Amino acid sequence: MNLLIQNENLKIYKRKRTWILIAIVALFVLLQIINLHTSGSPAASEDWRAQLEQENSWLTEETSAPDALNIEIRQAEKQLLLNQYHLDHGIPPQQSAWNFAVDQVGNVVFAISLIAIIIAGEIVAAEFASGTIKLLLTRSASRTKIYCAKYIASILFGLALALLGLLLSILFGSLIFGFGGLDHSYLYVSDSAVGEIPLLQALLGSYLFHLPFMVLTVTLAFMISAAFRSTTFSIVISLLASVAGFVIAIAMNGWDWTRYFVFSHTDLTPYIWGDPPVGEVSLAYALVFVLIHLAVMHLVSYTAFVKRDVT
Amino acid sequence: MPLLQIQDLTKKIGKKILVDHLTLEMDKGEILGLLGPNGAGKTTTIRMLVGLISKSEGQVLINGLDTSQHFEQAMAQVGVIVEQPDLYKYLSGYDNLILFSRMSKGVTRQRIDEIVQWVGLAHSIRDKVSSYSLGMRQRLGLAVALMHKPLLLLLDEPTNGLDPAGIRELREHLKLLARQQDVGIVISSHLMSEMEMMCDRVAILQKGKLVGVQRVSDMVQDEHAQVRFEVDRPDLAVQLLQSLLSGEQIDVEQEQLRVRIPKNRIPEISQKLLDAGISVYGVTTIKRTLEDKYIEITGGEPH
Ligand SMILES: Nc1ncnc2c1ncn2[C@@H]1O[C@H](COP(=O)(O)OP(=O)(O)OP(=O)(O)O)[C@@H](O)[C@H]1O
Ligand SMILES: [Mg+2]
Repeated sequence: MNLLIQNENLKIYKRKRTWILIAIVALFVLLQIINLHTSGSPAASEDWRAQLEQENSWLTEETSAPDALNIEIRQAEKQLLLNQYHLDHGIPPQQSAWNFAVDQVGNVVFAISLIAIIIAGEIVAAEFASGTIKLLLTRSASRTKIYCAKYIASILFGLALALLGLLLSILFGSLIFGFGGLDHSYLYVSDSAVGEIPLLQALLGSYLFHLPFMVLTVTLAFMISAAFRSTTFSIVISLLASVAGFVIAIAMNGWDWTRYFVFSHTDLTPYIWGDPPVGEVSLAYALVFVLIHLAVMHLVSYTAFVKRDVT
Repeated sequence: MPLLQIQDLTKKIGKKILVDHLTLEMDKGEILGLLGPNGAGKTTTIRMLVGLISKSEGQVLINGLDTSQHFEQAMAQVGVIVEQPDLYKYLSGYDNLILFSRMSKGVTRQRIDEIVQWVGLAHSIRDKVSSYSLGMRQRLGLAVALMHKPLLLLLDEPTNGLDPAGIRELREHLKLLARQQDVGIVISSHLMSEMEMMCDRVAILQKGKLVGVQRVSDMVQDEHAQVRFEVDRPDLAVQLLQSLLSGEQIDVEQEQLRVRIPKNRIPEISQKLLDAGISVYGVTTIKRTLEDKYIEITGGEPH
């Protein structure tokens, strides 16, 4: 089994294409950090107190606007509280660039997932397209083993990308914001109060708790790849579903029906801060909900992969 | 115990019967040819033997192991090439071998080097497979199929893409494997002359059915032969032959007569012709080829 996974890894990493995809991820992380740096810098001025107070008055207006989305109101309220915290404790906001880096993890994991989808969407279907499946399945390894090895390799690739994202955001962040920033605390809002946790811990936790998104989308791509044996089909459908799911989950954040929407449970970071988007939904509920989706997808793709004729 | 036992092997897709109750056995060290026109079901049969497609009916035992129940153990003893030898094009030949060596027990680096030499790819094994010619891919496919020293080798049209020298080389290789290492080999092909030179037995498939199994040596040792006499006065010769061989059909083509006679009568008949004052310029026996037999069995259509 170990050797089979090694084989899949060899097939992934010996391709030039894979390294281009990895470079894209690195570039994305770098751009995110540069973007934070340039947009965050004006606040470095002396009158940051006045700026924050002004921002707060805008935010108050925004929350009372009749056409505001749930998510907008929630974010504005959070920002209000955070700004107030800065004012009360005399911390200039420019030091909070790292805070934003933590907040951007969702985007990074989103980008990573899209890249991982390409690999997962190919991992089975490409063997059919190239005809290599015939040799792969006529060695002394059962189809079940091949299936598992391929799935594990897909998830491992996603995890490797996430680890790369984490390390690169620490590296680029330190280079651009300065290493000192790492000692700061991450500020978060929970139950209308502001809390602090160590920044590295927040960054790590944020990556970890965003991972269900990657696992879900990679599994979707893998399922279509194994069940329908079409690379294009699996990559296109999974990319569309992931983008739609990501956007809808953000736009509909806080709506009651989202408790039955799987993409609303793929960002578990609110549970770190103790601030779930929909009341009465627990971490366990979210995890089980995601796991059920994974199980159903595997049921479909495993059955198809093991049973269907290879012609 | 036979190396390969096939019993009532059947494949149906919808109403179409691709392979129809095929029953066949072969021993270690034997080379068996699967011969049949396009669409006869040769590839389908090989795919079923190795579990790429499911069987609708029947049973396959490899070295006594039922492939449905003991797939992994049974396949550990099999090397196979189905249709084209498709390998990973973006990897080097060597990486391909490493990959498949990890899927079988006991294939060492040394064994890989040995097999590379054996198939004659030593110079290009580090190159990407995408740069290989069809014949080189065929050789690499053969290396993958043979690296784990299988007892049973299943080759679907292995001569496809090989040059004449390559075909000859392959033939010698396969014969050696069968004679020296007791490997059983099943080869499907359209090339009947090839099959004749390589195989011990030939199984002829038509429309999914096994229509005949022929031992190649039997055909060569056939007592009757087609004999061609080249003479100066064919009219006279025909009359003479008719009187000597009542009932046999005599074909006349300009100065050549063709008849089917027992081999041991050739000297006598030649003598009679000479005695009648007919000059005989040549006597040739035409070997009854597999092709004749094949056409006889499949009912005339050469494909
Ligand atoms: N998936 C399928 N569905 C329906 N019919 C099929 C399928 N695959 C193959 N066939 C049919 O099965 C028959 C046997 O095909 P097969 O490929 O086994 O022939 P073959 O003897 O290998 O021919 P060739 O000499 O051309 O390689 C053909 O008539 C083909 O059309
Ligand atoms: Mg064929």
